[in-house]
Amino acid sequence: ARKMHRRNRPFRTEDLSRMMYNLSMTATEVVQKWRGEEEEEEDIEADEDDDFFKKPKTAQSGEDEDRYIPVYDYQELEEKWEDEENIEALKSRFAIGHASGKGGDED
Amino acid sequence: MSEPSGQPLIRFTGHRHLTTRLLLATLTGRAIRISQIRSSSHTHPGLTSAEVSFLRLLDAVTNGSSIEFSMTGTTLVYRPGLITGSAEGLGAIGGVVRHELHKECATRGVSWWLIPLCVLAPFSKGNVNVILHGEGCITGATPAGDVSADTVRTAILPLYRHFGIERNIELRILKRSCAPGPGKSAGGEVQLVFNHQVRLPKTLHLLNAGRVKRIRGVAYAVGVSGNNNARVIAAARGVLNKFVPDTYIYSDVSSAPLVPSNDRNNPSGKMKGAVGFGISLVAESSTHCFYSADVASPPSGGMPPEDIGKQAAYQLLEAIEKGGCVENTALDTMLCLMAMGSEDVGRVALGRDVAGSEDFVQLGRDVKEFTGSAWGLRDGAEDKEEVVVSVVGRGVGNVGRKIA
Repeated sequence: ARKMHRRNRPFRTEDLSRMMYNLSMTATEVVQKWRGEEEEEEDIEADEDDDFFKKPKTAQSGEDEDRYIPVYDYQELEEKWEDEENIEALKSRFAIGHASGKGGDED
Repeated sequence: MSEPSGQPLIRFTGHRHLTTRLLLATLTGRAIRISQIRSSSHTHPGLTSAEVSFLRLLDAVTNGSSIEFSMTGTTLVYRPGLITGSAEGLGAIGGVVRHELHKECATRGVSWWLIPLCVLAPFSKGNVNVILHGEGCITGATPAGDVSADTVRTAILPLYRHFGIERNIELRILKRSCAPGPGKSAGGEVQLVFNHQVRLPKTLHLLNAGRVKRIRGVAYAVGVSGNNNARVIAAARGVLNKFVPDTYIYSDVSSAPLVPSNDRNNPSGKMKGAVGFGISLVAESSTHCFYSADVASPPSGGMPPEDIGKQAAYQLLEAIEKGGCVENTALDTMLCLMAMGSEDVGRVALGRDVAGSEDFVQLGRDVKEFTGSAWGLRDGAEDKEEVVVSVVGRGVGNVGRKIA
């Protein structure tokens, strides 16, 4: 039970370092699992069911080329960055106004 | 070096991360075999023209490389040679390697060639001076997700400073071009001058991402009215001004590049290459970490400049929010250089989302295949927003400069 509990908490650094060199998982699976994005059991069952049909599908569907610029839903982003809360939260990452000199020296 | 030295071929499958793998193979001098390259595709199996072109470029800047394809191009064996750079008589004329990107290569932006080439350059025996040109050379951002050459110049090349590589590095954009529509040509031209070769890059300890102190950018309009630039810039500033007062975006208006028209009646005829506009934004932090964003008008057109400016600004904010010292675009560059450093532990802090990306995991695995050392991960010190990656350098560095 404890194990299950641990697994459900995403974004733990130890988990990533453990999974990173576990070659039985693909990189995509590692990332999904680490982010806690997928329900594993369901996926495994689905794989067993139609393994034969699924493979070519995944290979063809979607953008499976390397890319540098990430794909975003800009509609969503616009809403996100119109929100005052998000703007305020991000402002700590900037050196603003008079604090710019000070912030730079501290770091 | 290309002799089979008893070391077995390192085997990979699939077409993903091809440039990174070839890059690591060249740097470590290990021969690799990549199989099942798009073997499941019925329409385009095997290597794409862009990938073949990249192999040719590798061949041009190295001496003694051997590249073998299978009949269908789905299997590739690459035995790397010595990185010689633009040495006379080995592909270079007048100290410059001119590498033509053909029309079919227009699926990728020129940055796709440039970024790996830049990683090779510090380990070269001689100076590196490469001109990429031709009908497939796109300097702008592309729908395939390649950044613009401006971003390479302003956000990737300055990163080399962290490794003690900073002199005589320049990327000149000689002719701009945007992503062409299907069947059209681009016709851009860029020159990479990389004359600072090192024995070993310095060990990196970059744990503090600092604060963003300024934003710079380049808005480019190729063959269209410069008014588009003004509108893109105004929209981007509208979003970014809330955050940083020190925002400056250059405007670069150029005419459309001329490409051979391939008209039988007029063999010397020229026609205009792809037109369009776009913007590259780069945020610099107080500790010289860079975050970039790139948006360009789609080849089909029909996107107002305001949207492009805004999207670029949002993309930049998103990259800054992810945090860490390295953004996704620069991941390959930074971590490859760290892995090639002296036999010491280098550390770098990454944002959670950057470390949790597929590219990062795969890169870690590939590097382990080549160098045998795995990366260590632990939580960042202050708040748990970051992951600190420790990379042990390989300590071999530049084979060509060993004696010097």
